[in-house]
Amino acid sequence: MSRLPTPITVADRAPERPGKPSARRPEHRPRRGLTLRRHEAVTAWAFVSPAVLIIIGLSVVPVVWSLLLSFQADDLVTPSVWVGLDNYRALAEDPGFGQAVRNTLLYTALYVPLSVGLGLALALVLNRRIRLVGLYRTLFFVPFIISATVQGTLFSFILDPEFGAANSVLHALGISPQGFLSDPAQALFVLVGITLWSGTGFCVVVYLAALQDVPPSLIEAARLDGAGRWHLLRHITLPTLAPISVFLVLWQTISALQVFDLVYVTTKGGPLGATTVIVYFIWEQAFKNFAAGYGAAAAYVLALALLVVGVGLRAVRSRERRRLEGATS
Amino acid sequence: MGAVRHITSSPSRRDVLRGGALALAAMAGASVSGCASGADDGAAAGGPVTIELWHGQTDVGREAIERLVADFERAHPDIKIDTGGGVLADAMLQKVTAALAAGSYPDIAYIFGSDLANVARSPQVVDLTDMMSSGPTPWTDYWAPARAAVTLGDKIKAAPALLDSLAVVCNKKVFSAAGVDLPKEGWTWQEFTETAKRLTDKGSGTFGTGWPGTGDEDTVWRMWPLIWDLGGDVIAPGGREIGFATTGERALEVVRTLVGDASVYVDPKPGSEQMYKVFLAGRMGMVITGPWQLPDIVGAEIDYHVVPLPSFSGKPITISGPDTWTVFDNGEARVKAARTFLAWLMQPEQDVRWDVEAGSLPLSKRTQSLPAWSKQVEKTEGLSVFVKTLETARVRPNDPAYPHVSKALGEAVVAVLLGKSTPAEALSACAAKANTALRVPR
Repeated sequence: MSRLPTPITVADRAPERPGKPSARRPEHRPRRGLTLRRHEAVTAWAFVSPAVLIIIGLSVVPVVWSLLLSFQADDLVTPSVWVGLDNYRALAEDPGFGQAVRNTLLYTALYVPLSVGLGLALALVLNRRIRLVGLYRTLFFVPFIISATVQGTLFSFILDPEFGAANSVLHALGISPQGFLSDPAQALFVLVGITLWSGTGFCVVVYLAALQDVPPSLIEAARLDGAGRWHLLRHITLPTLAPISVFLVLWQTISALQVFDLVYVTTKGGPLGATTVIVYFIWEQAFKNFAAGYGAAAAYVLALALLVVGVGLRAVRSRERRRLEGATS
Repeated sequence: MGAVRHITSSPSRRDVLRGGALALAAMAGASVSGCASGADDGAAAGGPVTIELWHGQTDVGREAIERLVADFERAHPDIKIDTGGGVLADAMLQKVTAALAAGSYPDIAYIFGSDLANVARSPQVVDLTDMMSSGPTPWTDYWAPARAAVTLGDKIKAAPALLDSLAVVCNKKVFSAAGVDLPKEGWTWQEFTETAKRLTDKGSGTFGTGWPGTGDEDTVWRMWPLIWDLGGDVIAPGGREIGFATTGERALEVVRTLVGDASVYVDPKPGSEQMYKVFLAGRMGMVITGPWQLPDIVGAEIDYHVVPLPSFSGKPITISGPDTWTVFDNGEARVKAARTFLAWLMQPEQDVRWDVEAGSLPLSKRTQSLPAWSKQVEKTEGLSVFVKTLETARVRPNDPAYPHVSKALGEAVVAVLLGKSTPAEALSACAAKANTALRVPR
């Protein structure tokens, strides 16, 4: 925690005369100051303690508790047994966890670049002065505010292999019916499609905001130098948007690695484990297989992966910033 | 579902508020418990004891249990029952596990029979052996599946809450449109698959039958009667191997025949709601289901007929999946109150009301002989068939490793349903997975 803010209080009840410091007894000053400061610190702590308690209770304790849990064989029902690193060793050999990791990585590798790329493209298009642009911007953002549960239910109806609207459209076009979420080869891609439908809107809004910060003077200067549309994008717009892009990549990666609710509503990890992602695997271990310790170990592997991604992107960003500072100074 | 995510993400505002309340409650609890432990059961103060009931019911089931609770409270002014907590029965296991881990659990919860073996490992679960064997209705008067579902070893770990069994419900209109005779008791699985094939009509989008396709317990428990009929079992004696290594393939062949004939609607969604909707819409000839589905079928004005499950051997056999009321220890006074309530609830006069209103089969033969039940049987076509199947119904074993076996077999059934594996391949993959899980010491 950083330093406590200096409170705005009257320092002493006895009125001080600023012009006459000699009126005070110098030997009393440090002791009184110390008591006062201690008193103020106590008051300040009293004010912040509810927040501190909540942060410790809701963030620090669960994180530490689940770390300890990951070293135990615990079913949450009977007393637990300390097993050291056994849960982690078992994870390394578990084909189910391997599949969950592969599914999650594939999902992330598809979702992050597609959502950020599509978001940028749409933002560039929507940044022009076209008629009804406000309406278009709203329409792209609307799916983002729909909860994952509602999205899942909605798409389950549309994509039902026998009675869904999607297959009747395909039928009308003369294409054979698809299994969608019930086909192990398609299910994960369909999930990526559903999240793109909702997640792209977020990237669009963030990029639209960032595009307002591209300095018009730079664009004008480049235009005068004869830069075309592509050169403007390549050398002016994209470099200005770089910090935002890093943020979006980080944000979308974290949300992709944590995807759960959509899977829970639509496929429950199936068919045949094709959509079992890491968080779903963790949930299944803890609450279906009574292996909470094992689930906690899987959660820690995920947390570590997220940490690596976060720190990595931060390093890239600070190197970039240093490079830019070096170039301009 | 948020609990897992919050390990790595920051809590939302609601969680913070809720957590704040919890923290304050914890602090208050800590200061109170020092001087008056156990005061919260109300008995120490001489006032009424309040117990918490997580009934997990919705719609008609909730109305039925709430009416019963209100009547109980009128007759027992010293006991109050709080029915406000808990979640729907489908998510109860997760909620109760979390509650047990947190040390703040209800007095009575509605637990599925297939989950009881794991929940009952908790030292907080109250042994009901004495209560059941000394109740006004003799324990042997309860149906065998109801008794088996709550018995672990030689101990009764819960009270039976709801009794059901599987049978085949046929849509007469679909049968007459296809010119197929209604099946009769004693039919075989071969006749079942042939009938399903003849009922299927691609042109009108009509399926012979349906099967839940997510691989969950609803996919799996329909398989056990086939396996039992062939002489197999869920877990082999000794508990280290599956009991259907030799019989499972033939059982899965039935599923494969249905898939090969394209006569089965595979419900891709969790919960199997869609499968029943297809039946209720008149687009499915036969559905394997329990008595709880009858109110909906009657409501949809479907002209239906109920037959027992087919078999290979000609001997009748089915599965019953009883649900339980499990009692947790929150101090002597509350356990006593919970026992009083359950003993009252299971008596024929109350049981019959619960059965008629919520769609259970009678827990005991004494309930079955009451005029109110006879009236219900007269009123509801096919209900008597479900009751009769209880005589030959078996239940899944109360084994803590059951969820693993179920998951492995669920994947095998789905692999066959989706045409991804042959029954032999699916079974060997299932055996490898389930046997590994069975050898883990528990």
